[in-house]
Amino acid sequence: MSHVDQELRPPLVLGDKSLGDITDDIAAPMAATPSTLWWVGFGIAFSALVLGVVAVSYQIAVGIGTWGLNRTVGWAFDITNFVFWVGIGHAGTLISAVLFLFRQKWRTAVNRSAEAMTIFAVMCAGIFPLIHMGRPWLFFWTLPYPNYRGPLWVNFKSPLLWDVFAISTYLLISAVFWYVGLIPDLATMRDRTQPGLKRSIFSFLSLGWNGSARTWHHYETVYMLLAGLATPLVFSVHTIVSMDFATAVIPGWHTTIFPPYFVAGAIFSGLAMVLTLMLIARKTMRLEDYITVSHVDRMCKLMLAMGCIVGLAYCTEFFIAAYSGNAYEQFLFRNRALGPFSWAFLTMFSCNVIIPQVLWFRAVRRNLFAVFAVAIVVNIGMWFERFVIIVTSLHRDFLPSSWSYYIPTSIEVATLIGSFGLFFTCFLLFCRVAPAIAMAEVKGVAQVKKPESLRIPQPEEAVA
Amino acid sequence: MNDKPDRTRVTGEPPGAETVSAAAHDSRWQFDRRRFLEAAGFSLSLTAVTACTRRPVQHAMPLGEMPDSFAPGKLVSYAATCNGCPAGCGLLVGVRDGRPLKMEGMPEHPLSRGGLCAVGQALPIALYDRHRLDGPLRRGKPAQWESIDRAVLQELQAIRESGGAVRLVTGTRTSPTLAAIISAFLGQFKDGKHVVVDPVSCSSIRAAHHSTHGASRLPRYRFDRAAVIVSFGADFLGTWISPVEYAAAWRQQRIPTVEQPQMSYHAHFEPQLTVTGSKADRRYRVTPQDYTTILAHLAKRLGALPLPKNMPSLDSVGSFTAGDLKTLARRLQRAKGASLVVCDSQDLVAQQLVNAINEQLGNYGKTLELDRPSFQRQGEDAALADLLDELEEGVVAALLVADVDLLHDLPESSRIRKGLKKAQLVVSFADHLNETARVAHCVCPESHLLESWNDFHPVGGLVSLSQPTIRPLGKTRTLLECLARWSGSASDDRTLIRQHWEKAIRPRATDPGADPVAFWDNAVQLGFVEIEESPQPAGYSAPGQLELASVSRPDEGYTVLLYAKTGMPESRHAHNPWLQELPDPVTKVSWDNYVCMGPSTAEELGVGEGDIVELSVDDVKLELPVYVLPGQHDRVLGVALAYGCPGTERFAQVGPSWLEARPTVPNGRPVGRNAAPLLNWQGKSLQRVRHGVSVRKTGRRRPLAVTQLYHSLKLPESIAAYGAPDRSDIVQSTTLEAFRADPESGKPEVHVDANLDLWPPDHPKSGHAWGLLVDLNACTGCSACVIACQSENNIPVVGWDEVRRQREMYWMRIDRYMQGEDDDLDVRVQPVMCQHCDHAPCETVCPVLATVHSEEGLNQQAYNRCVGTRYCANNCPFKVRRFNWFNYRHDSDRENLALNPDVVVRTRGVMEKCSMCVQRIEAARVEAKKEGRAIAEGDVQVACQQSCPAQAIVFGDLNDPKSRISQLAKDPRQYRMLEEYGFQTNVGYRRIVRNREGGAESTGHHS
Repeated sequence: MSHVDQELRPPLVLGDKSLGDITDDIAAPMAATPSTLWWVGFGIAFSALVLGVVAVSYQIAVGIGTWGLNRTVGWAFDITNFVFWVGIGHAGTLISAVLFLFRQKWRTAVNRSAEAMTIFAVMCAGIFPLIHMGRPWLFFWTLPYPNYRGPLWVNFKSPLLWDVFAISTYLLISAVFWYVGLIPDLATMRDRTQPGLKRSIFSFLSLGWNGSARTWHHYETVYMLLAGLATPLVFSVHTIVSMDFATAVIPGWHTTIFPPYFVAGAIFSGLAMVLTLMLIARKTMRLEDYITVSHVDRMCKLMLAMGCIVGLAYCTEFFIAAYSGNAYEQFLFRNRALGPFSWAFLTMFSCNVIIPQVLWFRAVRRNLFAVFAVAIVVNIGMWFERFVIIVTSLHRDFLPSSWSYYIPTSIEVATLIGSFGLFFTCFLLFCRVAPAIAMAEVKGVAQVKKPESLRIPQPEEAVA
Repeated sequence: MNDKPDRTRVTGEPPGAETVSAAAHDSRWQFDRRRFLEAAGFSLSLTAVTACTRRPVQHAMPLGEMPDSFAPGKLVSYAATCNGCPAGCGLLVGVRDGRPLKMEGMPEHPLSRGGLCAVGQALPIALYDRHRLDGPLRRGKPAQWESIDRAVLQELQAIRESGGAVRLVTGTRTSPTLAAIISAFLGQFKDGKHVVVDPVSCSSIRAAHHSTHGASRLPRYRFDRAAVIVSFGADFLGTWISPVEYAAAWRQQRIPTVEQPQMSYHAHFEPQLTVTGSKADRRYRVTPQDYTTILAHLAKRLGALPLPKNMPSLDSVGSFTAGDLKTLARRLQRAKGASLVVCDSQDLVAQQLVNAINEQLGNYGKTLELDRPSFQRQGEDAALADLLDELEEGVVAALLVADVDLLHDLPESSRIRKGLKKAQLVVSFADHLNETARVAHCVCPESHLLESWNDFHPVGGLVSLSQPTIRPLGKTRTLLECLARWSGSASDDRTLIRQHWEKAIRPRATDPGADPVAFWDNAVQLGFVEIEESPQPAGYSAPGQLELASVSRPDEGYTVLLYAKTGMPESRHAHNPWLQELPDPVTKVSWDNYVCMGPSTAEELGVGEGDIVELSVDDVKLELPVYVLPGQHDRVLGVALAYGCPGTERFAQVGPSWLEARPTVPNGRPVGRNAAPLLNWQGKSLQRVRHGVSVRKTGRRRPLAVTQLYHSLKLPESIAAYGAPDRSDIVQSTTLEAFRADPESGKPEVHVDANLDLWPPDHPKSGHAWGLLVDLNACTGCSACVIACQSENNIPVVGWDEVRRQREMYWMRIDRYMQGEDDDLDVRVQPVMCQHCDHAPCETVCPVLATVHSEEGLNQQAYNRCVGTRYCANNCPFKVRRFNWFNYRHDSDRENLALNPDVVVRTRGVMEKCSMCVQRIEAARVEAKKEGRAIAEGDVQVACQQSCPAQAIVFGDLNDPKSRISQLAKDPRQYRMLEEYGFQTNVGYRRIVRNREGGAESTGHHS
């Protein structure tokens, strides 16, 4: 980072912190007893989780019939939630890996929580393909493992199988990436903790980190390699998820635009979720100096760009349907916009395309309430996008005799609430046990006066 | 049956029948030497097959040597005759290990020609019904037959002495033996009468023939000989008299080929869409009163009769114009002797006009046989009216009731109830505790058809037999046996029938043979015997000046038409869950009855589907949900009879129970509502049309369980894409004129690239290549195949709530599309089952390979492997896959006896669908392999194909160039659904051809 840059760009960390201040600020909430606000949040999140567990247990005990699906609409809330949560996860990887490779230093404030969010979101996502099975206790049949039944293999032609690989790979890489990034901070925590069980755990997890130049060198190399490995996943995972639909013959699903469209949508929804969480964490954990308005501003710009790509994709779909000359596809898209589910389509379109346009204005981008509202709206809109793609395509396909409608049951709604419960429960627990902001990385970008001998090597130097 | 090696029919009697009767009567058997030898010899002859009996085995001993005729698990067919309605269709009862499981049509039967309707198909589930009475009741309490007999005989003795009146009420029973026993029974009394009651009677047809031909008869209609058919409200393909017989006959003139582009012309007049109306070439929307007017003008035009007095002009008839009359008359005149006018009106004048027209056209003796008449409806309204009067007067001392439920099926039930109280003895023969049985002194439940011996005489020249295939599950008897006992003859029904046949049938048989035993064995084996009956000639004499009955027709209010539903012809089937759940072929509603009304009527009343309305007329009130049915006359509402039967509250428990489940019937109420109170007496005629009914919206709702939510091939106008307003390519249709010009007319202009594939075929199908071909021109949509498939493939009943949620489990369904305006309705029906695509979208997407393609072109589903992702169902373009949302409850262990052991019962969480009856293919393969050959044409008949009354479905090997399906596949009418997508389905369809002028049809407009 050149001296000139520092003059021109606003600082990434405010408040004129010393390195010790940064450590204290970030690590303090973990040592203190949780605030009332945390308890309230945790209470709500955990109640939602319990509700979800009850709903899923009931569904598994009684049958998929407890969902509102029917002979025509075989997927609805289940796969909508799945795609929604996978999408949420994307921002984490984007921020940690892609922005890292592009040397976007502002990412350091958010990358930790974004990565954690990725893992929890993928966990939530992973539940749905499992519980949407008629016989979830046989889920292992979707894994290709050596067996005595023939041997009976899985169907490598099925996009659902690709999903199994994509999601498990994604979860694995995300978790490793997150953990590796945590190691220096875990060492810091180890050093701040009194001897005892807690310290033993931190000690074990920090893998003997000693902060030497050599350790830092290895660490940076591994981190860089993992970032390189994770980057293609940002594109591959949602590409494969989109193929669940794109390889099908159903009009509205059978579309070649799906892979880029889904990836853009996933990043879009992920950014919205990161913003949502960031703004909450910033306020509740008093991290205003680390997550600054200019962070929010940049995130908003990225979100706006993604929103525009998504909007373009929606319009392209309609254009291609009209241009294709395929009567079934033409009908499907008209039905999507004007048919019984037009309310869902309108929700999606206004939430994802129209409302985010306010982010063109700098004043809006820097107004945290407005940004929070937009982020929530985009979250809702992106959930509806998946719902629209899945349900409106299925409910009126080729034969008019089989046309149907879909109304969710209480069990499905409870399951959706439960998935949010799981996500926030995990996130709130994470905030209590690990530094929510990557201390080591923030220190790297903070403009502190520090002795030359203690300077932490910068990523550029590590590469060099 | 030598050509059907997989379904051996065993000569003689099934196991068990003999032991049953012996067991039931041993106290009464007087064994003289002759009887003993007879019985012993008979028993001995049966030992070979007795192993099939469900007798309790005390000591299990392995068979040292397998008897020749018995193989465990092998399906054996026995001939029988259906008694689901009085039509008397031939049955083949599939019995496996002593359990009757599957009803099939008997191909050799002269009436049904291999067809069987939904009601006949549903017999097994009624046999194994846990709620069927399993023994007699006396004053509502279970009793022994001895005490019942004692009590009844005592009462009858008293009545005989006092000279009181004895009345036996039954539905139409064509049994010659029963007729003889009834006359013997009633002969004991000074005043004994047999009153026949048909829930939907043809009394007026009989009365009209009495006045025009001097004989109170029902002619046998020969639709196979009719080139021009004009029907006035007679739903002869759905519910009228003998629909299977008529459909089989009607079909013969309905299939145009390239060589012979001919087909019959069928005009239909009706107020409410029926199965028959939907198949007509020209359908006119008129009220039942209009029939008479149109017939009178037609008769005048044909020169049959002058216009009756005060006959309104033709202008009063909605859509039927003078021009139409001219065309119709010309068509009829051109087809003299080969035309047929039928009418379901209860107006005597209308029926007399019909007779005059048929006489004028020379149709008697050709398309109507009056000298060899039909006995399929014998009810006389006048006799019933007399009976009810007698009951009211307290004249009737003993009333014996079978088949009908007087208190439920007839109007003014409180009057009848009072009358019943005055009778000394009321005996009911109902097999469920119906309303009459509840007040009867004795209930003597009848054995099920499959548990008893029966004989039938449905039409002149044909008598048929029905043998039992299982011993009675309860302590039940037949009506025949009861009456015989109560007239002093203590024989069992087999003996009675056999004696009667020896005495009265064999002498008249076309082929009596020399040996009475051989004759009997043949009759039992074949199931029917043709007899020579001296024709009973009946000459025509023109009726005098006809006068319109002065029926008061209030101008206000609506006319309600009470009709019998295709799947529920009589209230005695109300306990049949298969029939209750069967979607009506016209409305697609399962469970419940409802008020059918036209779209404009519904708009006028401000109601929509599922809104409950109250019908009221005089002091009768009836609340029913609305069903909006296009093509309905604006002033006519339709309500199905035979609903609201007591005891059907039991169906509250059918279907899965879970958090949001709603019971099939709400709080202890029966299925549907009884519409019989709306029937009304006009003099001595029980009218099914009620005028002056007012309709009131109640504001409450009862959602209907409809299996098809969108009813048209036309897309919704607000959504339809430009240039493609409809999907008529799915059910293609053309006109006869266009077909003559170009046999491929009606083919959509869609480019189908034969060389679409990039890769060589991955399913070479070197051996057999199974395929189905459905002739949409023959298919009437009667839904017999739906029940056949349900019975064959163990498809569960899921209940009202699940059907309402679009989760019915039928593997094959009948899609019904209605487009066009009310007066110009175009109805198309299409049976849809798995299309067995060679490029199956379902197969590629299953992650666990649970659905795969066979080497013979079948799309197979491996239930055990399925994990239930439902991706296959989503990706199925035809939406034929059915998911097991729950573990569906079977009513009882006894009902599970109706399950086909060849087909796996699926658990929850797995996908299922039509397998093209792969179990039948495999059974045929085993048989063929034993004979060292390949499966030949005709070895396999799939369940839906087997009993199709119109023979619309052909199954066969597409690789065999000589097979019927290969031949038909070359037909220019053949097409495949969504062919342009390249699914390469193995199920094909043949285009509808309507006998109309004009070009190939798009939806909704023709002329």
